[in-house]
Amino acid sequence: MTDPTPHHDGAATAGARPAEVEIRDLTVVYRTEHGDLPAVSHASLDLRAGEITGLVGESGSGKSTLALSLLNAVPAPGRITTGSVEVAGVGDVTRLTGRRLRRTRGSALGYVFQASQNSLNPLKTVGKQLLDLGRSHEVEDLRGLVRRAGDLCERMGLDADRVLDSYQHELSGGMRQRIGIVLALVLNAEVLVLDEPTTALDMISQAAVLDIVRSVHRENGLATLVVTHDMGVVSEIADRLAVMYGGRIVEHGPAGELLRRPSHPYTRALIGATARIVGDPGLARALPGQPPDLTTLARRGCVFRDRCPLAMPVCEESDPALSEWTPGRFRACHAEPAPADRAAAVPAPRTQDDPIGGRP
Amino acid sequence: MIEARNITRTYTGRGAFTGTRTVHALRGVDFTLPRGGAVSFIGESGCGKTTLGKVLTGLETFDEGELLVDGTDLAKLSARRRAPYFRRIQMIHQDPYSALNPTRDVGQILGDPLRMRARETGATRAQQRERAAELLELVGLRPAVLAKYPHQLSGGQRQRVVVARALTVDPEALVADESVSMIDVSMRLGILSLLRDLRERLGISLLFITHDVATARYLGEGGELHVIYRGQVIERGPTDTVVQRPVHPYTQCLLSAIPVLRGLEEPGPDRLVPLAALDERAATPGCLFAPRCPFATAECAAGRPALTALPADDAHRHACLHPRARRVVATEAAAVR
Repeated sequence: MTDPTPHHDGAATAGARPAEVEIRDLTVVYRTEHGDLPAVSHASLDLRAGEITGLVGESGSGKSTLALSLLNAVPAPGRITTGSVEVAGVGDVTRLTGRRLRRTRGSALGYVFQASQNSLNPLKTVGKQLLDLGRSHEVEDLRGLVRRAGDLCERMGLDADRVLDSYQHELSGGMRQRIGIVLALVLNAEVLVLDEPTTALDMISQAAVLDIVRSVHRENGLATLVVTHDMGVVSEIADRLAVMYGGRIVEHGPAGELLRRPSHPYTRALIGATARIVGDPGLARALPGQPPDLTTLARRGCVFRDRCPLAMPVCEESDPALSEWTPGRFRACHAEPAPADRAAAVPAPRTQDDPIGGRP
Repeated sequence: MIEARNITRTYTGRGAFTGTRTVHALRGVDFTLPRGGAVSFIGESGCGKTTLGKVLTGLETFDEGELLVDGTDLAKLSARRRAPYFRRIQMIHQDPYSALNPTRDVGQILGDPLRMRARETGATRAQQRERAAELLELVGLRPAVLAKYPHQLSGGQRQRVVVARALTVDPEALVADESVSMIDVSMRLGILSLLRDLRERLGISLLFITHDVATARYLGEGGELHVIYRGQVIERGPTDTVVQRPVHPYTQCLLSAIPVLRGLEEPGPDRLVPLAALDERAATPGCLFAPRCPFATAECAAGRPALTALPADDAHRHACLHPRARRVVATEAAAVR
C-alpha cells in the first residue's frame, strides 16, 4: 500500500518504535437525507508504544468518530469509506468482521468510552461484568483475570475487593472512570483509547484520573490515545497532540512545541480561548462563531475559513493538505507559517516527566 | 445587596442498614454579595456548593442563619411575601441540555416569564416581543433564534438562551452553578465573558459556583473567592489573593489539580499530590480536612479551627491551624513570546 502522508518521524519521535496503530487516509461518512456527509476526512495518525497522543477538538469535530473507527465500531448510519487502521499484530481493523473483530476489541484495543461513568451495567456488580468480559473473550483462566483486575484496581488506588463486589451506584464518578480503565486493560490490550476521560469529574478527581492514566501508560508501555475538548487535559499528559476541526486533522506535532507555538490559526484560537490560571484573564479571547456540524460544514475549501482571521481567497477554493512544515510538525493551512515560528521551532526541553506533584 | 449569615443546612437520611446518618451540606456560611459584585464558591463535588446555590434561589430551605435581601430577612417572611425577593435572584443551571423544554421554541421559552413579568410592569404584548429580541441580542444571539427549538442549538447557544431566560424577570443577581462545565472549552469563554459583561453593563451581581478555579478567576475578578469544604468555608479573600497566595492546604490541593499547559506554563514547585476521594459523612471533631490533609498534625484532629484573618491581610481569612504559603499555581513558562 502506498503511504498517502509523509512518514511521521518528527524530532520528538526520532528512532521511536514502530507505530502500534497506523491510521491512514481514513474517511468516515454519515448517510443522511442531505447525502453522504464526511465526519472524518482523510485523517492519518500514528499511535506509538510509550507515547500518549492527545486528540483535541470541539463537539462535532469528528474526534470521537475517529476514535471509534479504531474499533471499527462507527455506529450506523456512519461507515468507513476509505483508508485503513493497521493495528500491530492484528492487521487492518476496518476489514475485520464478526468474531475476529469482536475478539480484537478489548484484547488488542482497550477502549474507555465517553461518559464511561455511566456505561457500567447498573444491575450487575463490577465483578460479574468482569467475568462476562472474560467469558465473551473466551478467557480460560477466569481466576487469573480477576487477579489481574485486582492488581490493576490496587494500582489505581481502589480497594479491589470492595470495588468488584459493588454496583455502579455505590461508586463515585472518579471510581467508575477508573473501573472503565481497569476493564479496558484487563485483557492486556496494548493500545488504550480514552474518550473524554475526565468530563463530568471535578478538578481533584480529574487530576487523580490523569495521574493514573499516565502511570498505567508508562508501566504497561501502552500506545495511548486521549480524546478530549479540553486543551488543559491533554497538555497535562500528552506527548503529541493532534488538533481536529471539521473532520480534519489540522495540526499535529509534539505537545509542548505545539502549545508553545501553535501554527494553525484554529489551534492558536483554541489555546487563546482557554481560561487559564496564569496571566491576565482579560487577554483570553473567545472563539468567534460556532463549530460546524455535518450539515453546515464547508463542502469545498478550508473547513475553518469562516472563523479564521487569516482567511484568503484561496481558502474558498481548495482544502489545504496536512503537510510537514518543519521537522516533526504538520499543519493544514494555506497561510504561510510565521517566520518567527519556523525559526523558533527547535525541540524544547521536555517537561513531561513531572507527574502532578512529583509523587514520591 | 444579598447577605448570608451563618447559613446552615443539614440533611438527615436513613439508610436501610446504616441507621441515621447526617450530612452537613452547609455549616455556617457567611458572605455579602454587593450590587454589581461577584462572589465565587469553589470546591469539589459533594462540598455543599450546589446546596448553597439552591438556598439562595429559594429552591431549598435552610435550618439556621439569615438570608437578607436589601436588609429584609427572608426566613422571617411567609412564602408568599418571600417570592418577589427570590424573583430578583435567578439561577443559571449547569446543564443547558436539560434546562430547556424541548417541546417549546425559544420564543415561548422567553415569552412565558416575560408575560408573568408584564403583570407587574404592565408591558404590552408588542413590548414583550421586543424585549425578547432585545434579550437575545444582549446574550449574543440573533433574533432568528426565537423560532428555534433547543435541539437546533449548540450547547453554547442553549446556555445563552438560559441566561436570556433568567434575564426576562430583571434580576439583580445571577447564581451560576457550574454554568460552563457542560460546554465545550472553546465556547466557555464566550459564556463567561457574557456574564462578566452583564455584571459590568447592567450591574447584575454574580454568585459563581464551580470546581474550576480558572473560570472562577476569570469571572470573579475584583470579587471575593470562598473555598468551601464539606459545608464549611475554609479560606476566603479577594479572588486574586486566594489564587496567587493560598494558605490552606485544601485550597492548595484544588489549585494543584488545575492542568498545566505544558510548554506555556511551568507547574508550581510545591504542587501537591492528588487527593484520595472525599467522604462527606466521616465524622470528626477536628479539622474537616485533616483526614485528607498531607500536613495534618495531632492537633488538627482535636479541634476545628474557625476562620481567622491573616495578620498581614484582614480580608484574607483561613481555617487552618498551620497556614503556610506554598507555590502550587503554575507560572508562565520562561521564554514565551
